[in-house]
Amino acid sequence: MRLTIKITFAVILGVALIFSVYSYFSIQRERQQLKKNLSREARHIGESLRFLVAEIWQQRGEDVAIAFLKRADQDYEHTLVRWVWLDGDVALQYQPRVPVEQLEALFNEETVALLAGSPDGQDFLLTYLPLITDNGRVGAIELSESMNEMHDYVQESLRRSAIVVGISVVSGLLFMGVLGSFWIGRPMRKLHAQAERIGTGDLTTSINLSGGDEFAKLSATIERMRRQLAEAREAEQVANDEKYEALEKLRHTERLATLGQLSAGIAHELGTPLNVIAGRAKLIDSSGMEGVDISRSAKIIGEQAERMTQIIRQLLSFARRGEARKQTLDLNILLRGLHSLLEPIAHEQGIDLTVIGTEQPLPVHADSGQLQQVLINLTLNGIQAMENGGTITLTGCRPEVTNIPEKLNNKETVWVCMQVSDQGRGMEQETLQQIFDPFFTTKEVGQGTGLGLSIAYGIVEEHGGWIDVDTTLGKGSCFSIYLPEFSSGETV
Amino acid sequence: MEAVCLDHHPQILLAEDDLELRELLTLVLSRAGYQVTSCDNGLQLLEHLEHADQYNLIISDVRMPALTGLEVLESQIDNPRCPPFICMTAFGDEVTHAAARRFGASATIDKPFDLDEMIELVHYTCLRTKTENLSVRSRS
Repeated sequence: MRLTIKITFAVILGVALIFSVYSYFSIQRERQQLKKNLSREARHIGESLRFLVAEIWQQRGEDVAIAFLKRADQDYEHTLVRWVWLDGDVALQYQPRVPVEQLEALFNEETVALLAGSPDGQDFLLTYLPLITDNGRVGAIELSESMNEMHDYVQESLRRSAIVVGISVVSGLLFMGVLGSFWIGRPMRKLHAQAERIGTGDLTTSINLSGGDEFAKLSATIERMRRQLAEAREAEQVANDEKYEALEKLRHTERLATLGQLSAGIAHELGTPLNVIAGRAKLIDSSGMEGVDISRSAKIIGEQAERMTQIIRQLLSFARRGEARKQTLDLNILLRGLHSLLEPIAHEQGIDLTVIGTEQPLPVHADSGQLQQVLINLTLNGIQAMENGGTITLTGCRPEVTNIPEKLNNKETVWVCMQVSDQGRGMEQETLQQIFDPFFTTKEVGQGTGLGLSIAYGIVEEHGGWIDVDTTLGKGSCFSIYLPEFSSGETV
Repeated sequence: MEAVCLDHHPQILLAEDDLELRELLTLVLSRAGYQVTSCDNGLQLLEHLEHADQYNLIISDVRMPALTGLEVLESQIDNPRCPPFICMTAFGDEVTHAAARRFGASATIDKPFDLDEMIELVHYTCLRTKTENLSVRSRS
């Protein structure tokens, strides 16, 4: 609306200026015209009087002529008529109203008309008509006419002009105000609202101003822009979805690969207790068994069945696929659970697997399956790095954290940590820089997908944490998984 | 005469890392008339094999700590005194079966197996070895 007011103001100022100039010139012209008329009128009167005065002067002498003029003066209401002498020292009553120097033309017997002001501030139109007496003395008939009438007329003209200008300004303001709000204000508001909507990310509402003016063009441009933005956003969304889906598939593949690696061990783990169960059952069935042996066999069967149940349960929780199902869990319990799952594999490679927890719980809000996957990946890597046996330690702790990544640096967060440390080969600096890259692997072809660590990294990042690596060539590596502690007051 | 003597009490060397299964097999094989020596990892098995001629048969698990059954078997490829070797594998792992046969295993058996089946396999393997030995002797 401000723009409308500005434009209105400028237009009206222009109009008022033009009108004022026009009025000024027309008043000037009228004034000239009026003056000319008055002057002509005075000259007519003067010429008539001069003729008569000259006649009277010749026939009856000076005094009668001047007396005639005095009488004539009384006959004219608006015009003052009197006789003046132009030569030097004369009585006050015969002196002209203006200095004689201004009346030089009279000596050439020319009529002089001029404007003069009286000492009381009134303007007069003075007309002098020369008359040379018989004795050669130069005099003149002076007609002085008050300009008051003309001033009144000009005043009236001015007043009218001012009224007209005033009315023009007011009506112009009203008119432009109404039209401006209709033509400019309304489309402007619509465009503004649309720009605001686009600015806040709402790309669903379209705008369409009819007509062919600039606003309609602008609205068409904005509309085009909105459509392009919406398309771009949609494309980005699709790309993101695809990326997410691909990542999820990759994760699933990796999970399956890890599962495959695990399953050989698990087959062995299940095969042995099954064998014991079947064998013991057969023993019970066979003849010649004593009561003590039978009950011992039955007990062993029970234990082996329990052992298998544990293995199957962990296998299921690991292989479960889908969205991250976060729940509050204690890292100590998670680590202990992993011990029984990974111990057989480690044991087989001649490696001891130790779990060290804390007395106090280490609560996090996390998907236990995903964290298990992370730890299994790290532990299997550790096992593979330890050809000569040794110990892999899974530790749960509350660390003194010093190197928090910048984007996670929040002083209020309390960090808890799980560490997987092996006594393997360790890594070189170059390898260390790449280990989290997808498809980077140091294993032989077919032995690893190169995805395990990158997926582990992604999972930990999704849980709001990060993985830190400490490695010494020839002595082993330690992977630390930092996660934000879950305090019971938090809402999820 | 020695062979006849062995026939009465064939010596079996059993390598199995799982305590329960080891105990069970020892019990069952003893009841079937065999003398059983047992160990719980590949390294011990290898040490026992330094006196290979003391045994008539070896029954070994494949997956074991330190050295796997297959590795031990492979190391004995050029040992003419090595007795017949029965490999126990888990759930019909074909690759392991093939590897075991390639390294000279007399037989492979999948876990979980039937105890009678195992006894039968042990009898059969011992018998065949004896026959082979006899035929070699008769030829000489």
